[in-house]
Amino acid sequence: MKTQNINIEKEIATEIQNTFHTAEVNIKRNKRIEVKLRNDLIPPFLSYAKNYLTFNHLAHFSCVDWIEQNEFELVYIIYSYEKGVIVLAKTRIDREKAEFVTTRHLWYQAETYERELHEMFGINFKGNDRLNEFILEDWEGIPPYRRDFDTVKYATDNFYTRPGREDAKDVRENVTKINKEEIPEFAKEYSVRSLK
Amino acid sequence: MALNLKGIISPYNALKQAGRKPHTVQYPYKKKEAADRYRGFHFNDIQECIGCGTCSTICQNHAIDMIEIEGLEVGPGDSGLRPRVDNGRCCWCALCVDSCPTGSLSLTKDYLYVSEDPNSFLLIPGIDNPDGQNRKSWISNGNSLLDYKRIPMRELEGQERVKSFAEVVLGYNEEEARTEAARCLGCGICTENCPVHMHIPEYINAIARGDDKMAVKIIYDNNPLGETCGKVCTRRCEEICAFTKRGEPIAIRWLKRYATETVENEKMIEEIVNPTILPPNGHSVAIIGAGPGGLTAAYYLAMRGFNVMVYEAKEHAGGMIMYGIPKYRLPLDSLDKQIEYLQSIGVEIKFNTKVGKDISFDEIRQHHEAVYIGIGFEVPYKLGITGEDASGSIQAINFLREINREKHIEIGDKVVVIGGGNVAIDAARVSRRLGAEVTILYRRRVEDMPADWEEIEGAEDEGVIIHPQAIPLEIITDENNKVKAIKYANAEMIPDPKGGRPRPKIIEGDEHILEVTTVIGAIGQEADYSFLPDDIKEKLEINRGRIVVNEDRQTSIPWLFAGGDIANRRADAIGAIADGFNAVKGIEKFILKEDK
Repeated sequence: MKTQNINIEKEIATEIQNTFHTAEVNIKRNKRIEVKLRNDLIPPFLSYAKNYLTFNHLAHFSCVDWIEQNEFELVYIIYSYEKGVIVLAKTRIDREKAEFVTTRHLWYQAETYERELHEMFGINFKGNDRLNEFILEDWEGIPPYRRDFDTVKYATDNFYTRPGREDAKDVRENVTKINKEEIPEFAKEYSVRSLK
Repeated sequence: MALNLKGIISPYNALKQAGRKPHTVQYPYKKKEAADRYRGFHFNDIQECIGCGTCSTICQNHAIDMIEIEGLEVGPGDSGLRPRVDNGRCCWCALCVDSCPTGSLSLTKDYLYVSEDPNSFLLIPGIDNPDGQNRKSWISNGNSLLDYKRIPMRELEGQERVKSFAEVVLGYNEEEARTEAARCLGCGICTENCPVHMHIPEYINAIARGDDKMAVKIIYDNNPLGETCGKVCTRRCEEICAFTKRGEPIAIRWLKRYATETVENEKMIEEIVNPTILPPNGHSVAIIGAGPGGLTAAYYLAMRGFNVMVYEAKEHAGGMIMYGIPKYRLPLDSLDKQIEYLQSIGVEIKFNTKVGKDISFDEIRQHHEAVYIGIGFEVPYKLGITGEDASGSIQAINFLREINREKHIEIGDKVVVIGGGNVAIDAARVSRRLGAEVTILYRRRVEDMPADWEEIEGAEDEGVIIHPQAIPLEIITDENNKVKAIKYANAEMIPDPKGGRPRPKIIEGDEHILEVTTVIGAIGQEADYSFLPDDIKEKLEINRGRIVVNEDRQTSIPWLFAGGDIANRRADAIGAIADGFNAVKGIEKFILKEDK
């Protein structure tokens, strides 16, 4: 039974590879194929997967912030009921100029996913005219799912600390006190924990 | 019309359900438990928790504080703090649970809580809800976000090692070091076990950030022999690393080794460390013994403007790290580099000057205001069995010293080493490198051996045979008074009624004879205080061969300071370095107070 399934994945993977020569196709595990594509090939690939390979269900659409490489990774998770296989179509876009094309014409629910990514990551989807306010109200500043967004700072700036928490201590500082250890000034900025 | 019997009887069928448990609400009313995946209040196993504060640091809502708990007794390896959660801020994302290194923190299913008192939402998990233990829902197991596996250290193969004295451990490369350093949580609990309290989380973080030079600068802040420690430290810090409860500790020693090895020569050390050397203050201090403790004291005294003179009996500085540690663990060029750096900033060493022989102690006292003694344990204990004085029966530290001086010692092809400490293992591994078959006889079990487990494993890899629970009885000699064989008896372990470690007891009649060419004794050393004048020896408080010192390493004679093996029981380099480092504070206090 299992070998039969793997055959399906191999068949699909070969077919995708033969159609999109530049794609990087990996069978991640049973019933899961990863396809990495150049970003201009995503609309034709999704259209091809939906219409020719029966991947007619958009299960999820999400984004990963690769801040070190200055890129966003868009992940389309599509599913074929007929084959029982998931395809993860991944592509990278520029993080500075976060812009991509909509896939609303393929799946209508993509519109809502794009609205969410627009709000949380600040990605503009050309062709989607409903990128208005979604969950966050009156949000200013950088979108909160970007990794350079400082969640702790936001939380401490916007929500007051309950009285009765003043006795909090810093672990590193407490340990230095036990040790009678003197950390020189130049080393203090390398303390992972804050040294108040 | 036929009687439809079935239609009459079938309603009575329902009676068969009468004895079964109803599927309705139970009486008396029993509170229904939430499903296993529900997340509510935290629970913390107070005994398992070490107060590393990772939960508090990772919390994106700033909901967790680390606070002192009244009446909580903690040992080493514990910050003494415990988390307290502000449930008004918590969003139950469980990042704190997933990043808890000990696995003490978890979430319970207690998600329903109503109270009019807002302060009651401040909860100390585990103390305020001790019964939460039975209702855990989200626990930290395979889903932990932490990396529990350390980057393995590359080493020479066992068979390759015995061919030469080449360094066994190859060291991390840059990528390995950065990856290993990135595992560190920065809690700093490890520093409790370091006698000199090196700034471990800071220099590891500097390595993780790619700033090796800063790491070296931080290391030199309280340890001038960082590279030595990076190679041969007994690393008690790793024993209490937050990761030890569930995984492998951070390779603190190897990271220190990596950072210090990036510096190629003493000039570069000086550039990086860039020490502030105070102008001479006109005071003078003598150091007896250029071991790790004496060199440390000399380095920090010289930096504070003192005129320092180190008297060393031998031709090379380093003490036991020069003459006691084999070169496959600490190569000579590495040691030279460190000592040349110390000399370059003003540490003066008088070599081949044995106090009591080449110069008298009184003369030293006349020329200096304070004296620090770091002479170490140089005189080996005798085995106390017949035949010990035969030719071919030698002492391990003498043997290691001569080998480190690159002298030739004839040991033949069958060596037996007696003892289970690091010195014994070193002597065994050196003998393997000289081409002999080596057996170690140790009176207790392998797990009782005081030697480093890595050293024991290393010796086994190199083909050293370890024979535990064996007590030597007699060295058998031939007519020329040369060692021929050793007679030993097997022992059984008798539990100590007082609760101490089990004692070996000879099994009567279970005696064996092993043919050997050399017997190396390594059962410990003691100090030689004969250089001290009698009046000083009388005033000096000596307890079981060790000089009694206070926190500033000051002896019962105010101007006399002592450290290293003669003052502490750790018997390692870092213990001596800590003594040297702390003695500097004591000497400074003593001399400058006199000034006022």
